[in-house]
Amino acid sequence: MSAAEPAPPASWVRPRHSIVVILRELWESRELLWQFVQRDLTVRYAQAVMGFAWALFMPVMIVGAGLVFRVVLVTLSGSQLDGADVGGLAVKSLPWAFFSGGLSIATQSVIANANLLGKIYFPREALPIATVIAQCTDLGIGLLLLLAIVPFLGLHVTVNALFAAVVLLLLVVFTAGCALLLSCANLFYRDVKYIVQVILSFGVFATPVFFEPQMLGPKGARIMLALPLSPFIQGLDIAVVRGHSLFDTVTLASRRGDVVVWSPWMFAYMVASAALVFGMGLLVFRRQSGRFAEMA
Amino acid sequence: MSGEPVLAFEHVWKKFRRGQAHDSLRDLLPAIARRLTGRGARSPEEESRDFWAIRDFSFRVTPGEVLGIIGPNGAGKSTTLKLLNRVMEPTAGVVRTEGKVGALIEVSAGFHQDLTGRQNIFLQGAIMGMRKAEVQKKFDEIVDFSGVGEFLDTPVKRYSNGMNARLGFSIAAHLEPDILIIDEVLAVGDASFQQKAFARIKAMATGGAPVVLVSHQLDRIRELCTKAILLEKGAVRATGTPAYCVDEYLYGSRTKAAESGEAVAGFWFQRVFAPNGTSVFSGQELTIVVEGNADFEDAAPSWTPAFRITDLRTGAEIYSVTGFHRQVPLPVNGRFEYHLTVQMNVAPGAYTAQPCIWDSMARTNVAMGPILQIEVLEKMAFYGTVQLNSRWKVIEPGVGVTLDDASFRQTA
Repeated sequence: MSAAEPAPPASWVRPRHSIVVILRELWESRELLWQFVQRDLTVRYAQAVMGFAWALFMPVMIVGAGLVFRVVLVTLSGSQLDGADVGGLAVKSLPWAFFSGGLSIATQSVIANANLLGKIYFPREALPIATVIAQCTDLGIGLLLLLAIVPFLGLHVTVNALFAAVVLLLLVVFTAGCALLLSCANLFYRDVKYIVQVILSFGVFATPVFFEPQMLGPKGARIMLALPLSPFIQGLDIAVVRGHSLFDTVTLASRRGDVVVWSPWMFAYMVASAALVFGMGLLVFRRQSGRFAEMA
Repeated sequence: MSGEPVLAFEHVWKKFRRGQAHDSLRDLLPAIARRLTGRGARSPEEESRDFWAIRDFSFRVTPGEVLGIIGPNGAGKSTTLKLLNRVMEPTAGVVRTEGKVGALIEVSAGFHQDLTGRQNIFLQGAIMGMRKAEVQKKFDEIVDFSGVGEFLDTPVKRYSNGMNARLGFSIAAHLEPDILIIDEVLAVGDASFQQKAFARIKAMATGGAPVVLVSHQLDRIRELCTKAILLEKGAVRATGTPAYCVDEYLYGSRTKAAESGEAVAGFWFQRVFAPNGTSVFSGQELTIVVEGNADFEDAAPSWTPAFRITDLRTGAEIYSVTGFHRQVPLPVNGRFEYHLTVQMNVAPGAYTAQPCIWDSMARTNVAMGPILQIEVLEKMAFYGTVQLNSRWKVIEPGVGVTLDDASFRQTA
């Protein structure tokens, strides 16, 4: 390129999109979103039995792994495992299965459609978001199964269990935000998916799925509950298994003193992280999506 | 979105980066570390690998206008389409597409192989921006047009390439866009479908919406477009009527190429031309004349005149021939003139012919002559890359010949 080459204007500012614009565009392409969801589901549930089994496989595996883990812990400490522990594991494995399953598929969702990116314009956000929505059917199947076994678990379900709907909704939003960020990152840096897999395999120990926060003592509980995903899992446990309102402060005794396992602040934290991650996901994704066609 | 639909480029620039993108974190993290320590600024060498695919490109297409964009490979045509299609963003400048964009580009890109034809119609329709109700309303028309009706509930992975393309085209052809972008999708399916598709494209293109059409089929540019732009290396080389731009494309570079034609000492190509014109119908003969001057002291006996013919669309050399085995003598002294006659048994499109001197020992060209651009026109539509000059004859029992290609040709 010679020195005499004409150059474009130096002060060029790319147009920015606000969250409102992006959300409106997504709403306008809701039919496309639905088509993608249908596509994902049709392909996954092509063999109905296998699809249904798959939806149950993940939560059941997590509950199974959790049980083994708990039995070992209980045996070592010489106490006993009760029905509420099993119920708690079952309740908490659902959001975890949703988050980890949804995220590992969604991380690949943009690159899996690379052939489309360079050819047709559509709001690219639809790809990861549709994957997360499709994953909701697995969550729904898991919930139905859970409802069926609740009477046998010895849980004292109160009206506070209705908080679960709020928590799950926020969890979906949070997961969609993570999906936007990671699917975008994975297009630019192809090894992101491996890192996501590693984090997801260890995350089950870092969040209150297998461990109860009170097992870790006051300080350990604070650290565990500070992880952005923890309030969603802990919130379900508090509302469904323990029957508390999420606007209460819940304190449990442990060998190392009283442990605050829930406070209204955690509810606020949960709402804020869902909104923040989703908003950030939308903005970052949109900012980068102009370069998708060049990367794919 | 108010007023009439508009399709416009305003001083658009597009730069592609080469050799800088890290596509894994493993590569990125060391690069960041280098940059932080000040040893990783982009080297001038890296900068020079950037290239401008589009340079200061402006145009405006209003309703009723059909703009044709032509140019050799790498001129920036596909980048232009991608920018218009909003698949890419310009590095600088503004791309205006006001109104619902319909793009006849890669019409079956959104198909999922495991879904049936029926499901894919809705999926592809949605990706192209159609409402479900709209697809439902036009469903029968789409299926009729595509001719895949009986396989509607078969997964498209069992479709042939032709069926795939036909279905994709049929969906795209039933969009009702405010503005239309057309890439060379004209070569879809078999001949009869191509004709149907072309008629449809013509109807859409002349339906009053602003249209941009990119094609190598120069006769179609002349037929469909109201104005044209000739792109070269990302910049506008000519703009005006389609006929003017096509002429500029075909003949304009002759003098330029002659200047850049390499020569060995003692050998000059002076003129390359086609006495009967550079436009021929597919399957017909073309004669090329080369004139020049030779003054050789030390011409190697292994040198021989040669020709090569290149497809402008793909840049691929489709035919090259040397005089070696035919014992064609290399002109050694004084003025020379030699003629080459070839039968252009190739698909309609733009080609180049270039004389050279071939060293059959070293197996390289020692001299290249000026480039002559050739246009191959369509006579009878066909699909493929090679003209096989088919002839038809239909014999009905008891009646005799009902169709004979010879008589058909006379009446056609």
